[in-house]
Amino acid sequence: MRSLTLYRRLLSIQLRSQMQYRMSFLMDVLSTGLLNGTYFFSVALVLNRFGGVVGWTVGEVAFLVGVAEIAFGLTDMIFSGFDADTFSPMVRQGQFDQLLLRPVNITVQVLGSSFLLRRLGRILQGVIILAYGLWMTPVVWTAAKSLYLPVVIASQVVLMGAIFIFGTTLTFWTIERVEAVNILTYGGVEMMGYPMDIYSKGMRRFFTYVVPFIFMNYYPALYFLGKTDPFGFPAAAPFFAPLVAAAGMGLALWFWRWGITHYQSTGS
Amino acid sequence: MRFFWEVVRRAFRQETTYRLAMWAGLATNLFFGLVRAALLTALLPAGAAVNGMDAAASVTYVALTQAMIAFLRIFGMTDVSKSVYSGQVAMDLLKPTHLYTLWMGRELGKAGFNLWGRGVIFMALFALFHPLVFPGSLGQAGWFLVSLGLSWLVSFSWNFLVNLAAFWTPDARGVARMGFLISGVLSGFYMPLQLMPEWFTRLCYWTPFPSLINTPVEIYLGIVPAGELGVRLGLQLVWFLVLAAASQAVVRLGIRKLVIQGG
Repeated sequence: MRSLTLYRRLLSIQLRSQMQYRMSFLMDVLSTGLLNGTYFFSVALVLNRFGGVVGWTVGEVAFLVGVAEIAFGLTDMIFSGFDADTFSPMVRQGQFDQLLLRPVNITVQVLGSSFLLRRLGRILQGVIILAYGLWMTPVVWTAAKSLYLPVVIASQVVLMGAIFIFGTTLTFWTIERVEAVNILTYGGVEMMGYPMDIYSKGMRRFFTYVVPFIFMNYYPALYFLGKTDPFGFPAAAPFFAPLVAAAGMGLALWFWRWGITHYQSTGS
Repeated sequence: MRFFWEVVRRAFRQETTYRLAMWAGLATNLFFGLVRAALLTALLPAGAAVNGMDAAASVTYVALTQAMIAFLRIFGMTDVSKSVYSGQVAMDLLKPTHLYTLWMGRELGKAGFNLWGRGVIFMALFALFHPLVFPGSLGQAGWFLVSLGLSWLVSFSWNFLVNLAAFWTPDARGVARMGFLISGVLSGFYMPLQLMPEWFTRLCYWTPFPSLINTPVEIYLGIVPAGELGVRLGLQLVWFLVLAAASQAVVRLGIRKLVIQGG
């Protein structure tokens, strides 16, 4: 409870300071939104020429991209304190030691240390792409589907957040940010934006058994869009997303706590 | 001239110190390359070709564009604008060379290293996953190198020009991002222009951006329409001259605005 009030406090400080320069803030929101939007625009132009890819229409691909973009935008906003880019200087310059000295939950402090409101741009862009996808696909939205969509987005946020926390914990030892983690985060969204059918067997196996992204976006999309599963997974596969997210977050938090107990300051 | 090459040499040596960053960058480029190659090969099944782009050519297109990221600094650079904000630019203006040429030297040194470290090595790594095609003749390879050199000049001039916004606005980063936003689509970096609708490709050719990426890749793959090779190279040269001249003019205006705080 105390942690929650503290988090709200830290959050309001963040928001107030970021809204100080309104014009610059709006520019930032707009440009980050457009940046990801233009990429989808390019892909959509090409997909239109071919009438889709591996049996997926442009609208259906837009659905995949839209959901993944909204979720990643949210992750990037909420978990930006755990973004290795902002966190690794804290380890390097010893500011993390200061946080450890305070008698408050360390996870809450790091989580509240940054909240990038300008990521709204990416989220907004995802919403537009998703809306376009929904408009282009004749899907019957049952109550169950409408309730499950927010759960899928939340699950993606939690799993991506877990990868952020994992990457941040690594910086205790590496001091520098570990770029390979970016492959899973930024690369992961891009990868999840296409139907899994296009990837080679090796890549698909990796994203099924090692980092199970396949259950986060692709399988839920099969359920929402009423498409048949070409890989023969159990019929419950579209509903694995929350379980994978919970397991991933559990693992990441365990690693984070273990990392803190083994943390040795750089001495700066 | 001796000063210029000294700057190049130092920038090259400085870049060689970041070996770990080089491998990390290579891994990231490789992953994104594999994802993009998967999409294009799924679109172009064996035997299918659009405007000379078949599956093998499109995979090679992906490899080349990913290999050019660090060499051309496709995602944009902010070094010049940072030097304006920090005041370093005042020192640079005292040096016995023009600001544009000075930065060209610095960037050329970096690019020289990245052509090898992030370019050639990347192509070799990518070839482990996908078979790549090579230029059909020595002449084609030669014209590719000429075109690649011109792309570098266009890319550098464009990046430099965008950075000059720092003389007027405190948010040059946003301007740089806008710059990449336009160039990413229009240059053929995201998707080959050959696969875009015709009206869109024609629109792109009114801008300098195809000269940045699409032209050298086209020449490498040997899919330039017959008789167009000279036109494409000429266009690259013209855009380089235009952007370079614009940079000079803007620098002159910017310096008048510049106020350096003493200390």
